[in-house]
Amino acid sequence: MHPVSWRFPMRMKRAIVRAAVLLALLATLWPSLAAALPAFNRQTGQNCQACHAGGQFPELTPYGRLFKLTGYTLGERSLPLSAMAVASAARVNNTSKSDDPKADFQKNNSLIFASASVFGAGKITDNIGAFLQVTYDNYAAQSDDGKFHGHSSADNMDIRYADRSIDSHHDWIWGISANNNPSISDVWNTAAAWMQYVPVPSAGSSRFIDGTAPYPGFAAGGNLSGVTAYAFWNQMLYLEVGGYRTAKGVTSFMSAGVPDAEKTRLQGTNPYWRMALSHEWGAHNLMIGTSGMLADVYDDPLDTSNPATVHRFRDIGIDSQYQYLLDPHTVTVQLAYMRDHHELPAFLANQPIEDVDGNALPNTNSVDTTNVLRAKASYVYEARYGTSVSFFNQTGTTDSALYDPTRVGGNIAGSPSVRGQTFEVFWTPVQYVRLGLQFTTYDKYNGASHNYDGFGRSASDNNSLFFYCWGAY
Amino acid sequence: MNIRQVALLAALASVTAGCANEPRSRDTANENVAGETLARQVCSNCHGVTGNSNSPNFPNLAAQPEAYLVAQLTGFKAHSRRDPAGYEYMWGLSHKLTEKQIKELAVYFSAQTLLPQRVEGKPERSQSGETIFTAGIPDKAVPPCASCHGPQGRGNAAFPRIAGQHADYLVKQMTVFQRTDQRPEGSVMKVVAHGLTQENIADVADYLQSMPPK
Repeated sequence: MHPVSWRFPMRMKRAIVRAAVLLALLATLWPSLAAALPAFNRQTGQNCQACHAGGQFPELTPYGRLFKLTGYTLGERSLPLSAMAVASAARVNNTSKSDDPKADFQKNNSLIFASASVFGAGKITDNIGAFLQVTYDNYAAQSDDGKFHGHSSADNMDIRYADRSIDSHHDWIWGISANNNPSISDVWNTAAAWMQYVPVPSAGSSRFIDGTAPYPGFAAGGNLSGVTAYAFWNQMLYLEVGGYRTAKGVTSFMSAGVPDAEKTRLQGTNPYWRMALSHEWGAHNLMIGTSGMLADVYDDPLDTSNPATVHRFRDIGIDSQYQYLLDPHTVTVQLAYMRDHHELPAFLANQPIEDVDGNALPNTNSVDTTNVLRAKASYVYEARYGTSVSFFNQTGTTDSALYDPTRVGGNIAGSPSVRGQTFEVFWTPVQYVRLGLQFTTYDKYNGASHNYDGFGRSASDNNSLFFYCWGAY
Repeated sequence: MNIRQVALLAALASVTAGCANEPRSRDTANENVAGETLARQVCSNCHGVTGNSNSPNFPNLAAQPEAYLVAQLTGFKAHSRRDPAGYEYMWGLSHKLTEKQIKELAVYFSAQTLLPQRVEGKPERSQSGETIFTAGIPDKAVPPCASCHGPQGRGNAAFPRIAGQHADYLVKQMTVFQRTDQRPEGSVMKVVAHGLTQENIADVADYLQSMPPK
């Protein structure tokens, strides 16, 4: 085992220092920019921290939740365009236990322009609003000569109709959302679509950063086409039900740009539900909720002719979020758990598998279960200086289908187990820019602490340092 | 995007263009939306539908004198009130309000009933706060709060109701008055607050929050 060393490499250190100095200069010399706002800020005229807890987008405050649930219609119609970009650098602890480090850890220690998004977002009428995101991934593909190619595709999309009836006796908010990602319509940050918050770069060096470590999520993923109906009663009880189908025909824009081979193809309409209890007292607020989805997903997105090739997923989660919001302090504690029950299609179930030496392994499973737990606590001071710590633990059934005797990404135990922690510090010099540094450590990876790939790689070899500079305008 | 999607979007746009739901609108730039509607659909998100806010970040507006509310909203709109609570939350929401809407909002919230607030802090702190409220601190030339805000802290046209206000909000505003010029209309408070220590401010804020809402 190689000794663990966590000295910053000079290139990465220089890149971080340069970015920090540049942003500090911008913040000092151009203070009026702090009042120049992305689409929702132009619409409401309010600072980011009105809607985002401690300014740490995308986590919402109680006010931000009401803004979203009322269909992004509060304020006045304004230019509904915003842009977002992420530059980042990642460093994997040990790149030596690899046959081809340049391929396994592309752009390791390098500052890269990772991705950029354009948003069409805001009020359309008194009852209709939208949040439409298209994202350009600068490292979406790589040709044989090693050159990267960028690509744009539909990202999160949420178009809403909402109404509200409120007086001193009751408060009813209800609405309908057309969206492309189960729980993207949700307003709590422990929802599957929102808890992982920093966009993940595609370059290989980011393969072990926090954003790629287990987060509770729905197996169906995004790029779907769904309609959900929701109601929020007295800011206490939230209910949402809906269904998702393959994005095609008039709704194909919801998966536009996603390569056909990567699109999620669903069989029929797949139900999604969400229930949450929320309470606010003084500077505190607490939510306890549950959500779930049944999804039938074709094995091959390019061939949906045979119903027998469908994977059947049943995901059920519970989540909770506590916030303490009193200027200048912001405290958030989040807990989310998801249990995934996966019934494999017959042609993949009970199949014989041999290891690299030709020894027979147990036949593959017909059903797998996976459990993912995430806990996170964060503190932000003056919506400017923040820190967070999170814990993740994924467990599940061992399945020979997961057996993979390759270096770095391998899994000789056939186990989905991954466990670790992420420590983060971040700085928001101006309200639309965040610089963060995350350190993710692994106690267990693919079922083992040591030699998980059969080539001597330890879980801690995947420990990763991740620096990001995330801006929106 | 294919021709069917373009046609659908065009149809949607033509159907929804100019659609207004004024009785339940959240449009802060539509002069036809009544102040009471804005109070319920917009202001209530932070200040509560009856002007009793949950979070101490946002002041209680219930039973606040109408003229004082008009002055504050006008100050936010004109950017003459520049404290963080003002520009972070209120400048944008107020900048297109008409005088009629401002008046209606003030009428709405001034007519609401203030609910009793929690009693916080130690009793001796509240006693010290009561002394400052009723007698001031003569040695430091700090006048009693009651001399301007009234013996029950209910305020008047020029001075706000401070009885039943969130202690945290009062502390922050007194600190704004004491240390900045971000609220020029309240310059009289700069002189008053000058002689107060942070402990004095906390004492009087605790007392004011616990004052019964008469």
